[in-house]
Amino acid sequence: MSEEGRNAEELRYRALLALDVFRTDARERLVEGLHDESWRVRRAAAGGFARVPGRAASVERLISVLGERDETGARNAAAEALVSLGSASVGPLVRLLGHVDPDQRKFAADILGQLARPEAEDALVSVLLEDGDLNVRVAAAEALGRMAGRSGARALERTLNDVEPLLRLSALESLAALRQPPPLSDVLPLLNNPLLKRSAYRVLGLIPRLEATELVCRGLGAESRSTREAALVALGQQAALTAPSLRSAMDVAVSQVLQRLPEASGWVASALESEDLELRAGALVVAAVLRSPKLAPLVAEVAQEERLVPEVMRTLACFGPETGRELLASMGRLSFPAREAAGQVLVEMVDASFVPELVQMLDWGELDVKSVAVRALGRTGSRDAVAPLAQLLSDPEMAALAARALVSLATSHRDLVLQVLESALEGGAEPAVLNALVRVGGTAKLPLVRRIASQASVSLRATAVEVVAAVDPVGGLELARSALVDESSSVRAAAVRVIGQLGDASMAELLARALADSALEVQLSALEAVGECGALERAGDLESLVRHPDGAIAFRAVRSLARLGLLRDEVLARAVSHEDHEVVKAALQAGADRGGGEALALELLGHARWDVRAAAARVLADSGGTSSLPTMLAALSLETDTLARRALVDAVERLSGR
Amino acid sequence: MMPFDTGRPEMNVEEFRLLRDFVYAYCGILVRDDMKYVMQRRLWPRLEALGLTDFGSYYRYLRFDAQRRPELETAIEALTTHETYFFREPRQLKAFSDEVLPVLERRNARTRRLRVWSAGCSSGEEAYTLAMLLKESGRFEGWDVEVHGSDISRRVLAVARQGEYGPSALRATSADQLSRYFVQLGPNRVRVRDDIRALVSFGHHNLQEPEQGSCSSRMDAVFCRNVLIYFDTPARQRVLRLIYEKLTPGGYLMLGHSENLINLSADFELVHLRGDLVYRRPELGGWSP
Ligand SMILES: C[S@@+](CC[C@H](N)C(=O)[O-])C[C@H]1O[C@@H](n2cnc3c(N)ncnc32)[C@H](O)[C@@H]1O
Repeated sequence: MSEEGRNAEELRYRALLALDVFRTDARERLVEGLHDESWRVRRAAAGGFARVPGRAASVERLISVLGERDETGARNAAAEALVSLGSASVGPLVRLLGHVDPDQRKFAADILGQLARPEAEDALVSVLLEDGDLNVRVAAAEALGRMAGRSGARALERTLNDVEPLLRLSALESLAALRQPPPLSDVLPLLNNPLLKRSAYRVLGLIPRLEATELVCRGLGAESRSTREAALVALGQQAALTAPSLRSAMDVAVSQVLQRLPEASGWVASALESEDLELRAGALVVAAVLRSPKLAPLVAEVAQEERLVPEVMRTLACFGPETGRELLASMGRLSFPAREAAGQVLVEMVDASFVPELVQMLDWGELDVKSVAVRALGRTGSRDAVAPLAQLLSDPEMAALAARALVSLATSHRDLVLQVLESALEGGAEPAVLNALVRVGGTAKLPLVRRIASQASVSLRATAVEVVAAVDPVGGLELARSALVDESSSVRAAAVRVIGQLGDASMAELLARALADSALEVQLSALEAVGECGALERAGDLESLVRHPDGAIAFRAVRSLARLGLLRDEVLARAVSHEDHEVVKAALQAGADRGGGEALALELLGHARWDVRAAAARVLADSGGTSSLPTMLAALSLETDTLARRALVDAVERLSGR
Repeated sequence: MMPFDTGRPEMNVEEFRLLRDFVYAYCGILVRDDMKYVMQRRLWPRLEALGLTDFGSYYRYLRFDAQRRPELETAIEALTTHETYFFREPRQLKAFSDEVLPVLERRNARTRRLRVWSAGCSSGEEAYTLAMLLKESGRFEGWDVEVHGSDISRRVLAVARQGEYGPSALRATSADQLSRYFVQLGPNRVRVRDDIRALVSFGHHNLQEPEQGSCSSRMDAVFCRNVLIYFDTPARQRVLRLIYEKLTPGGYLMLGHSENLINLSADFELVHLRGDLVYRRPELGGWSP
């Protein structure tokens, strides 16, 4: 298009987007736009109808555009507009299904399919079974495939024996789309029909029964690639629908056919690489049975499709011990998601002989690859793994992981590990190293930890306070008290946490200061600690914080008050009206734990948030009182959220003893 | 049975929904319903690192802990895939070099200024690749050229700024390209050459929060490849709106090879190049929005 042409098009496009839809000629301007030569302009026009007042009139006008035989672009744009008008279009389109012109009837069926409104189902069923024009019937079959209704599915099943192959095909495809497979006996005869077999396998895949698997397996041995692929797709579908406990029976059936198919490895490999997700899913099922480590990198690549990750992991787990080495050798070529999956497997499969390659991987740069190498090194049990891991202890990104790996290695090389951890600490390592040292060295290392607590960096000091408390409570509490005046808020927060865990009501005075600390971190720990150590004196402070706009503070205040057993009704009421739904749920739970929370729960059945309503239903179910049943049933009739509904249904069933 | 995942807490549907909604509200990333397992698996290490025993506690940690902000970023890290490498999707890159760059050279001849944005650049390979192509074209010597890379993840940005890479980042890089644009640091490690690095800048930017953007100038071309896949329709439309506004009229948008704007936006026009399809913000004659 020339520059000028493009500018003109852009101007028409902008004008339609900016159109004042209350102008009297707005609708006609849009209709004109539907006839524009540019698809962008036509789309803008189609989108405009939803904003124009008077939907019924728009629908009629659009239907008249559908009748303009030579205006393909305009007709398609009108169809799009009718879809955007939603339920207003349904009645008139159902009437259009009775038009004398089959072309118009077909359009009506197509659009009704896109609208997928249940109100149109019966009309489409009649067209499917009775219309005189094949194309119209096919369109109706396709439309019914998007409705998810029972009567539509039954009508589609009846059509499976129609003489017209095209109609049978669309009926079959629609049943597959609806995930409503017909009886196995109806599918069986279709498996040999060249036109229908692909779709027949599709519906077969929706029947997770061994008989169906056996039929599918026959397809794996077919000469033609398309049949084989259809069977693979079906197998993948069945695997996804089959309960894990029945999977092994399925695998047996697959392995029996594979014995007769020595060339399977080849076509499984190419199916694993295909663009088609369903095909890849099926290929995984077969690969798991083939157990060929050579396929491992290809299998790992399937993890690019996140939905297939569980199946990828399952498949790799079926492969033999050589898989680890195969994956290690291909790491450099794998995509990120594949590396992630391969890494997980590798970590499970390493032994001492992997150390040199894993050490090489440490200097690859990519953090994920390094993490895998570190975790794997920790599982090799090899003395040679200690030194390379020790080098990572001063790397902030790797230290925690490396320290953990060293802790694993300590079961066989304790002294060496202790030595590297200590010297890393001398050099000012990360907190995780300190933790590891105490885990491996135990109380014997306390003097060292204490020295660190008094002089090292902020993060090491904070960790030291908690580490000491974990091994030596009396000394830990003492250390925590002195750390309460540390200049760093993380150290103070750690001290407060220790006081909460080890202290008692006598700490109330100290906690008062912490509650008023300027650092949020310290305040939050203090709120928790008050409840933990039973500092009843602080209840007043907590009560005022229940109002706090920051949900984090209000939430903890409610929980601590509940823990102290001091949550008064009016405070509870305040918490329930908090803006943050987690505060509301905390209050609801606190009310229930204290006894007599049903009234509150009944009230909250009408809360705006689904999770609060669900929590209220659970509280009512736990209370065991049946007097709330009528209110719950009323709530159930109004509930639209699936999870809240499920909680209500469970509660009603429990209470009514069903 | 999940063979490698035994003994770890399961995420129940309610926890899944709370976490999913929370993540979505923060950055528009949509974790589809069928990805509960993926989410669970990716967040397990976080639970482990924080010493938490269930996903409900993790959710409350993200909401209410003093460390919530950094942890939320870590969670997003864990949930997004940072798959990328140098010279990814060569067909599109060739079309960019052979057909788009000459147009941009002509258009900007007066200002002698060129801005290219790699939106959702991950660890920087894409931004550096673009800088390499600009250099290689030989068209912009002496111009004011900048490639800007942005991402929501600070961890990948740190890697990007460092500019050092290992084998997997180079899996589509030829020996020739390797010797021209990289310095070898060790057997398995290279660094992008300084003259290329000098063309590239990086910044943090959540594409769902437009006003936060890390680049202020209008862009001549935007690469936003393999990023929209994370979002649902409204979130995609927000990003596209943002890109549209950042582009100069006549500027180009390049998406990943499996992505398109069908049913998302008609703001852009589709341009059929000889080598590939790209999108363009239309020119507008004297009409300002
Ligand atoms: C798969 S990578 C794509 C990298 C590169 N564009 C390519 O195609 O090779 C996707 C990147 O998008 C980033 N991302 C996801 N959501 C984002 C958001 N809301 N804002 C900015 N970046 C985001 C992720 O962090 C990730 O690094």
